[in-house]
Amino acid sequence: MLSLKIENLAVSFPGLTAPVLAVDHLEIAAGSGVALTGGSGSGKSTLINIIAGLERTRAGHVFWGDQNFADLSEGRRDRWRAANIGLVMQDFHLFPGLSALDNILLPARLSRVATADLVKRAHMLFQTVGLKRPEQHVETMSRGEMQRVAIARALLRKPGVIIADEPTASLDLESGEAVGDLLLSVAADAGSTLIVASHDPRLIERLGRRLSLKGGQIVGDTQAGEMAA
Amino acid sequence: MIRFILADLRRLWLGGAVVVLLVALATALGVAVTLQERSLRLGSARAADKFDLVVGAAGSETQLVLSSIFLQAAPLPLVDGSILTKLSADPRVDWAAPVGFGDSFAGYPIIGTTTKLVAGTTPGFAEGRMFALEGEAVLGAAVNLPLGAEIKPMHGTAETGGHTHAGPAYKVAGKLQPTGTPWDRAILVPIQAVWHVHGLGEEHGHEEEHHDGDGHDHAHEGDEHHEEGGTHTEAEHTGGVAEHVQTVAEQPAPQPPKTAFALGAASSAHIEDDHHGSIDPDAPIVETFGASTPGLPAILVKPKTIADAYRLRQEYRTGSTLGVFPGEVLTRLYATLGDAKMILSAVAAGSQGLVAAALVLVTVIHVGQRRRQIGALRAFGAPRASVFTIVWLELFLLVALGIGIGFLIGLTAAQIGAQMFAAKSGVILPVGFTREDLRLALVFLGFAGVLAAVPALLAYRQSPATALRA
Ligand SMILES: Nc1ncnc2c1ncn2[C@@H]1O[C@H](COP(=O)(O)OP(=O)(O)OP(=O)(O)O)[C@@H](O)[C@H]1O
Ligand SMILES: [Mg+2]
Repeated sequence: MLSLKIENLAVSFPGLTAPVLAVDHLEIAAGSGVALTGGSGSGKSTLINIIAGLERTRAGHVFWGDQNFADLSEGRRDRWRAANIGLVMQDFHLFPGLSALDNILLPARLSRVATADLVKRAHMLFQTVGLKRPEQHVETMSRGEMQRVAIARALLRKPGVIIADEPTASLDLESGEAVGDLLLSVAADAGSTLIVASHDPRLIERLGRRLSLKGGQIVGDTQAGEMAA
Repeated sequence: MIRFILADLRRLWLGGAVVVLLVALATALGVAVTLQERSLRLGSARAADKFDLVVGAAGSETQLVLSSIFLQAAPLPLVDGSILTKLSADPRVDWAAPVGFGDSFAGYPIIGTTTKLVAGTTPGFAEGRMFALEGEAVLGAAVNLPLGAEIKPMHGTAETGGHTHAGPAYKVAGKLQPTGTPWDRAILVPIQAVWHVHGLGEEHGHEEEHHDGDGHDHAHEGDEHHEEGGTHTEAEHTGGVAEHVQTVAEQPAPQPPKTAFALGAASSAHIEDDHHGSIDPDAPIVETFGASTPGLPAILVKPKTIADAYRLRQEYRTGSTLGVFPGEVLTRLYATLGDAKMILSAVAAGSQGLVAAALVLVTVIHVGQRRRQIGALRAFGAPRASVFTIVWLELFLLVALGIGIGFLIGLTAAQIGAQMFAAKSGVILPVGFTREDLRLALVFLGFAGVLAAVPALLAYRQSPATALRA
C-alpha cells in the first residue's frame, strides 16, 4: 500500500551529544513485513515514533509514499496517521474508565467513522485476540489482556501500515503466537505494510525482513531467506 | 465522546469536585455581596417610597429618616405642634400626619399617628378595621398578635430598661396587609392616645365630659378656659390663618409644647415627671390639630404634586424645622455607604481574582496531568476538533457547574441574610437576579471558556511522542 523512505534522519535530544538515532537511508517496500530488533535502548521505539509521525523530524526526511511528514503540521500529521497507520505502542495507552470494547472503538468514534460494520468488526477482533468480556474496564485488565485490546484497536480500521512496538512482550508463548498470527494475517489480507519492533525471535522469524539496530544505527538488514541460509 | 468525558470526570472526580467547589465559593462570595447590597438599596428605597416628605425639627436629616422610616428608636428634637396645623391647612398638601413614637410593646414599636397616614401608606387591612377609638390599635403585618389582644405600652424598649406604663392598654382592632417596610413591625395607635399616655395634650375635663357622648366639642371649649396656655394659643392663632379657628374649637385643651415628648429610652428619665396621663379607651379620635398640638418628632407630608413637594421642602428647611425627602437622604446615605460597598466589592473582586488565579493553576495542572492523555488521543487518531472539545468541555463543565452552584449559594446566602434582616428590621429586602447578574455570569463563563481553551490549544504545541513521555 504505502512504502517508506527515510533519508539522512538524525534524532537527538537536548543534553545528549550523539544522536539516539541516525539513519542515512532506509526504504521499506509497500506491503512488506519488517522486524526491528536490537538491544534495549538501541533506538527501536525512537524509530517507530518517527515513522508513525509521533515525533517531529528535525533533521532528514521521512516519506510515506509521496507524503513528507516534515511538510505536515501536528494536526494534519495526526489526521494522516489516523487514516493510514494502525499503532500498537509499547505502553498501550489505553483509556481508563472505558470498557475494552469502547477503547477499541474510541479513535473511530472520535473521528466519526464508527459505522455499524466497524462495531461488528470490533466485536470480531475482540474475539480473535482471545478476549472474553467486552464490557470489562481496561484498568482492571492484566497487561496481556491490555496488549490484546491495544492490538485490536490498531487493526480496527484495516490500516495501510501497521506499526507495533513489542506487541507480544506481555504475552505467554501461546497468546504471543496467536497475536503474531493475527498481525500477519490482517496485514496479508489488506496488503498492509507491517513494521514490528520485537525481542521475540518467534515473531521476528515470521517477518520477511529484519533490521538490527545498535546504538541508534542500523547495523544489520537481512531478508528472511538469507537468515535461513 | 460524551461517554469518554463522563468516564474521565468520574475518574478525576476528586480534582473536579475541588475545582467546582473553589469556583462555587468564590462566585458565591461575589454574588452574595452584589445581591445583598442591591437588595438593601432597593429594600430601603421601597421602605421610603410612601414617605414623600418628612418634616421634623432642625437636626440630623439622617436621624430623622432613620427614626421615621426605619422606626429606629432614638431621641429626636421635637417640631412645634403648630407646624402640623399649618401643614394640614396648606393647599399644596394632600394630607399631613403626625408620627409619634417612643413606646413599645413586646419589642414592637408603638407609633402614634392618624387614620390618614395608615390609609395612605398601606395597601389595606388583612383583618379587622382601622382604629376608631383612642384605645384601639392597628397592627403591622409582621406583628405577631391576634385581633382583640391587649397592648400595654412600655416606655422606651425593654432592652434599654424601659418601664411599662401603669394604666393604659390598647385593644387590637385590625391588622394591615404587608408593606415590606419597617412599619410592618409597628403597632399603630391614634396619636392622641400617645399624647395622653405621656400626659401631653391632656384635656382635664375630658374624663367627666365624654360620658355625655356628643358633648365632646363643648368639653374642649370648656377645657380651654381651665388651661393656662389657652389664651396664648388663641392669640397665636388669630395671627395665623383664618380657617384654623374652626379647628381650634375642636381641639383638646391646649398644652404648651414646652413639654418634651419622649423618644426612645434616652429621654425617658426626662419625661418621668411629666408622666401622669392615661388614655381614655372609649374616646373618639380627633384628627384635626390645632395650634395646641404638642411637639412632634416627625410629620409625614403628602404633597399634591412634585413641584409642591419641592416647594414645601424648601419652605420647611428654614429655622427650626427640617424638611427632607427620605429617598434623597437615603441616596446620600448610600453614597457614604458606597465606600463600605467598595471595600466589600474589592473583597469580592479580590476573591474572584484569587479564583481566576486558582483556575489558571488548575488549568495548568490539568494540562500537565492530561498531556499523556492528549498525546494518546492524538496518537490513536482523534481529530483535533475532538481533542479540543474533550479537553475544553471537561474543564468548562466543571467551571460552569461551579459558577452555577456559586450563584445558587450566593442567592441562598443573600436570602438568608435578607430574612434575618427582615426579621430584625421589618425591611423586606428584595433579593433577586437582574440582567446585570446575567451579564456577570456570562463574563465568568466567557472567562472560563477562554481559560478552558488554553490547554486544548497548548496540546498542539508539542508532538504526541513528547506528550506521551510526560
Ligand atoms: N526524550 C528523550 N530524551 C533523552 N533521551 C531519550 C529520549 N527518548 C529516548 N531517549 C534515549 O534514546 C535511546 C533509545 O531509546 P528507545 O526508547 O528508542 O529504545 P528501545 O530500543 O525502544 O529500547 P527498549 O527495547 O527498551 O524499548 C535510549 O538510550 C534513550 O535513553
Ligand atoms: Mg522501546
